Amino acid sequence: MSPNMLRLRTLMVGIPLALASLAVSAQVTPPGRTLAAQCAQCHGTNGNGPGFDEIAGKSAREIYNELLEMKSRPVEGIMDRQARGYTDEQMRLISEYLSTLPGNGGD
Amino acid sequence: MHRFNRRDFLKSAGAIAAFAAIPKAVSAAVTGARVVVVGGGFGGATVAKYLRMWGGNVQVTLVDPNPNHISCILSNLVVTGALSMSRITLGYDTLRTTHGVSFLQGKAVGIDPAGNRLTVQTSSGNRVLDYDHLVLSPGVDFSPAPGNWNPNLTPHAWQAGAQTTLLKNQLAAMRSNDTFVMTVPKAPYRCPPGPYERACVVADYLRVKGRTGAKVIVLDANSDIQAEPEAFNHAFTVTHAGRIQYVRNATVLSVDSATRSISTTAMNITNAKVLNYIPNQRAGGIAASLGVNPAGFVPVNALSYGTAAFPNIHVIGDSCAVPASDGKAVPKSGHMANAQAKVCADAILRTLSGEALDTNVATGSACYSPVTGRTASWLSANFIYGDIYDVNGAVKGKGMHRVDLGEAPSNGVNGDSYQDMFTWADSIFADSFK
Repeated sequence: MSPNMLRLRTLMVGIPLALASLAVSAQVTPPGRTLAAQCAQCHGTNGNGPGFDEIAGKSAREIYNELLEMKSRPVEGIMDRQARGYTDEQMRLISEYLSTLPGNGGD
Repeated sequence: MHRFNRRDFLKSAGAIAAFAAIPKAVSAAVTGARVVVVGGGFGGATVAKYLRMWGGNVQVTLVDPNPNHISCILSNLVVTGALSMSRITLGYDTLRTTHGVSFLQGKAVGIDPAGNRLTVQTSSGNRVLDYDHLVLSPGVDFSPAPGNWNPNLTPHAWQAGAQTTLLKNQLAAMRSNDTFVMTVPKAPYRCPPGPYERACVVADYLRVKGRTGAKVIVLDANSDIQAEPEAFNHAFTVTHAGRIQYVRNATVLSVDSATRSISTTAMNITNAKVLNYIPNQRAGGIAASLGVNPAGFVPVNALSYGTAAFPNIHVIGDSCAVPASDGKAVPKSGHMANAQAKVCADAILRTLSGEALDTNVATGSACYSPVTGRTASWLSANFIYGDIYDVNGAVKGKGMHRVDLGEAPSNGVNGDSYQDMFTWADSIFADSFK
C-alpha cells in the first residue's frame, strides 16, 4: 500500500471518528505525530532544524523510501541503525505525518 | 492562599448532575488542566515544551532548583577545556516566552498524591502547587559512598556545573607521571558510554599537553565495557595504549577523599593525583519517594510513564525503570529522556481529552562520544512497545522491547562523527529547550 493510499484510508476512517468524538472532545491526535517527534532530537522540532537533513516539507513517499533504503542497506551511518528501530507501519505513519509539516526548503 | 482547583469549581458550580457526567476532557477544557513538571533537564524541559505545543490550553509549570540547566551532554569536553561552560548552559527563557511554560525556581520537597498537591521550597518560602498530572524528571541521586567521600575534594562531575569545573581544574594541574583514577558505576547508571568517553578525552588531553607517563586508570564495577565495546576497546588498547589502564570487576569498597585513595575488589590505589569517583546511582529523591525497584529506580507504565499507585504521577528519564526485555534495558540518557517525555506528553493529553492511549509507541537513543580531541564514535538504540522477554525468550509482559542496538563501524570513528556530534547536540538542545 502506498503512503497516499494510507493517507486516503486514514482520512476515510478519520472522518466518522472525528465527528463521533466532537461530542466529547475537540481533540483527536494526528496519527504518526508522536512517532515522528522521535526524529526531532536530531532533525529539529517538527523536522525543520536545527540538526541533520531537513525532513519536513517533503512528500511522504520520498521520506518513506529513504527510511526503507536506510533500514535495508548495510550499516554505515547512524540513520542506518535508527531506521532499523521502526516497523514498516511506523515508517509509513512517520512519513505521512512529516509530509504535512512545512519545511524551510532545505535538503 | 486559597487553592482553587477543579473540584472546588465543580462544587461551587453546584455540581449539576449533568455537568458532573461530562467527561474529563470538557471540564479540563473549561478550567485548563494543570501539569506540574519537576526537573528541568532534557526530560522535564521536553515534556513541558511538548505539552504546551500539543496541548492547547494546558497549563504547565516547570520546577527546578536552578535558574538554568547545565547539560551533561558535551560536558566531558568542558573538563578538557575544549568547550566553555556557557556552551552547555541551557536556559528556560524560550520555554517561557515562546511556549508559555511557567517556571518556578525551587526544590520539590513533598508530594500529596491523594490531594494532588506538590510542595516546593523556594527562596520566598514554601509554595503549594495543585496539579491534575505531575511529571517527575529529577535525574539521578548518588547512592551513599563507602568510606569518606567528599565530592568537593574528589568530584564526580556526573551532574554538570561546579563539579565539572572542579574536575577540569584538577586535570589542568596534572603533570608528567601523575595518575587520574576514575570509577565506572555499577549499571544501571546515567549515560552508559559516558565514563569510557571521559577516560578517552582525559587521556587525549594528557597526550596533547605532553604529560609524559601520566595515565588514566578506569576502575569499572561492571564485568565489561557497558557501551560501544568495539570503539572503546580499540581506544583503550590502540589509540590510547599505555595511557589508559582498564580494570574490570572493580567494586568499590572504600573511598577516602582526603588522601585521594580508593579500595576496590580488583585494585587499591593511594594518593592518586586526581580521584574522579563516580558513585552508583538511583532515582532522584522526590521520585524515589514513590517507591523503587531493587535497583533503586521507579517502575512505570511504558505507555504513560505513570506509576502503578498513582496513574497521574509520571516518572520519566533517568529516575524511571521501564519494563524491558531481560538484558536489554532502556538506557538512561538525555536523548532517551527527551524520547520518553514526548510519549508521556502524548499520554497525558490523550487522558485529558478522553482518547485511548496510543500503543504504537517507539523510543530511542542516539549519541556521539568523543574518543580523542578530533574523533568520535556513535551509539544507537531503539525500542518498540510490545511483548518483552525473559532470559529464556519467554514473554514476560508488555514494555519497551529493544529492537536494535549498534555502534559506529570502525571506519566510522572519525572526524566526521566528531563534527556530527555538535550537530546532534545543538539539535537536541533546541528540541528540548527552545
